[in-house]
Amino acid sequence: MLNRRNFIISTAAMPLVLGTRAYAQDTRTLQVFIDGDTNISNWWNDIIKPAFEAANPGYTFNVTITRGVGDGNGTIAQRALAAMQSGTDPQVDYFEEYNPEDLEGSIEAGLWTAVSTDNVPNLSMINPAAIDIPVRLPYRGSQVLIAYDSAKVETAPRTFADIVAWAKANPGRFTYGRPDKGGSGSNFVIRAIHEGNGRDPSLFTRENFAQPQADEMLQKGWDILLDLHPYTFGEGTYPAGNTPALQLLAQGAVDMIPAWSDQAIQAINQGVLPETTKLVQLQDLALCGGFAYSSIPSNATDLDGALKLANFMLTPEMQTSCVREIGGFPGIDWSYLPAELKDEYIDVIPVSIPTFPSGDWQTAKNDGWYRVVATNIVRD
Amino acid sequence: MTSDANPAGRSGAVRTMHLKENLAGLALVAAPLGLLLVLILLPTVSMVWNTFQVPVEGGTVTGIARYQAFFADSYSVANLRYTLIWTLISCVTALAISLGISLYLRFSEGRIATMIHALSLFPLFVPAIIISYALVRFLGPNGLLQLLLEQVGITGYRTPYLTPIGPFIGFVWENIPLPVLVITAGLSQVSDHAIEAARDLGAGAWRILFEILLPQVHRSLLIAFALIFLGVIGAYTVPYLLGPPAPEMMGVFMQRTLGNLQRPDEAQVQAVILMVLSSIVGGFYIATMLRGEVGRK
Repeated sequence: MLNRRNFIISTAAMPLVLGTRAYAQDTRTLQVFIDGDTNISNWWNDIIKPAFEAANPGYTFNVTITRGVGDGNGTIAQRALAAMQSGTDPQVDYFEEYNPEDLEGSIEAGLWTAVSTDNVPNLSMINPAAIDIPVRLPYRGSQVLIAYDSAKVETAPRTFADIVAWAKANPGRFTYGRPDKGGSGSNFVIRAIHEGNGRDPSLFTRENFAQPQADEMLQKGWDILLDLHPYTFGEGTYPAGNTPALQLLAQGAVDMIPAWSDQAIQAINQGVLPETTKLVQLQDLALCGGFAYSSIPSNATDLDGALKLANFMLTPEMQTSCVREIGGFPGIDWSYLPAELKDEYIDVIPVSIPTFPSGDWQTAKNDGWYRVVATNIVRD
Repeated sequence: MTSDANPAGRSGAVRTMHLKENLAGLALVAAPLGLLLVLILLPTVSMVWNTFQVPVEGGTVTGIARYQAFFADSYSVANLRYTLIWTLISCVTALAISLGISLYLRFSEGRIATMIHALSLFPLFVPAIIISYALVRFLGPNGLLQLLLEQVGITGYRTPYLTPIGPFIGFVWENIPLPVLVITAGLSQVSDHAIEAARDLGAGAWRILFEILLPQVHRSLLIAFALIFLGVIGAYTVPYLLGPPAPEMMGVFMQRTLGNLQRPDEAQVQAVILMVLSSIVGGFYIATMLRGEVGRK
């Protein structure tokens, strides 16, 4: 109940409360949104946060995890767009990973800050392969590698043909995940398609998908995978995702799988995969990977701070941490990183980072795989 | 509750009271009914309608071309056939096991029976994703079962993981508790006198089962069958994690068509076909329930 005495006390306390607010503004808190896996949000909270605070006095950030909630960061991006249209506070400064292309019309509406060496000086060190549209900032990457148990596999495969040869010599000891259920299987299937098409990823672009030729090009990949099919684990019972594939390797049911670099390195560090597990990248043409792009809304509450954070993420220290802590792939060129780091990871550094277009090609690849490769129906 | 039930000549006040009660009752169900209408029925009707809209140049026409496309595609039909076959096999197996457990519980008492009862209900509290991963560890390659078999000298174990048997085991495991609950309830209504009388007249165990027990619990069996069928036919997690890549159960196929291939129109056709199959069994269920209601009155 509000009596006179309490009223006086509360009014008297008011300047105090306001005072704290004013004081709090000295340390500026950026709002960072993450919808990636636990390894990413833990890395941001436990390692990046203290390092960022030490390097940028007066700044800190607060991580909000949107993983598995609605459309993850997509929902927050929609909120930011709505806030821009109504001129209100979007309550977000930094998307750890969000592709502005996923929110239709948001780039045209000017929702995203274009980054360049003018506002993010460290972009000068960026890996040329990662350069992309200016509204997204490639700051870390993941690649798919071949993970194998060195106690069972004598010589590491260095080419795609090596994998096929090894699988045929060791029936049932190789497998890959279903292409629509996780990137490790998907990028292996893509690699087979590349293999069938002269190892030339440039043949596949977002715009050039056209039905009769596409079917022909994909068929060259299917032929290779069909040839491999009877030699895979369970004669063509492909596990349903990245984790189930790793689980088969961990249980010793298979000796070789394609796997995401970060997931495999963490699994080895945690003892889920045996110590004898080794990772290797194919040298004739790497398996595809991709960069994770951060994006910054142009109406960010603290745009300067967000750009500072972006620049900080591209420092060689944070990029080294990305390799060491989460088994990621650096956004900046390897030449800016410590030489010993490069030596340690020499087996997994690809000569180039091939990509495969999203959209129609992905759909045709996934559905085609189910219809042509995965079925155990005999075809003539 | 109808006004006809009132003897003629009753005062109007009573009738008004009944009317008020009826209105109050309707008001109580209005909110959930409204939600059902707006959130489930309307979208369903519009979705079903949409599947009959076939795009042609310059607009759409009403027709069954989308369904023709589904049934002309051998891959889709194989998925549908696979779903139906394994749903039925899983239903029959789960039902047979549940009936066995229920019969045991009907005629047994004591601590062991209570424990078995509790154990048979246990799967009710385990989410599908947990049981799926547990089964991978147990039945999977180099899993617990294989290790145990090898301990006693049995080698050559072939894991059911990623074959149709994988999800089948998952479905049966998941679908024991509800049928056990329903069938035990049904069996408890069979009087001991009837069974004892049959026994006195020299009826054997099978004869008692087929001529005394089953006829009296067939309603429970039908209800249990419907419950399992409806749960299995639309299952997602278990066939997704334990089953083979192809053929796919319709739930997995539908999700992939919508989520990965982004073809909502095709996914809708798949959904309607699944809905028709489910509603046939759902119809059985409702008919059985209604017959029971009428019979009791």
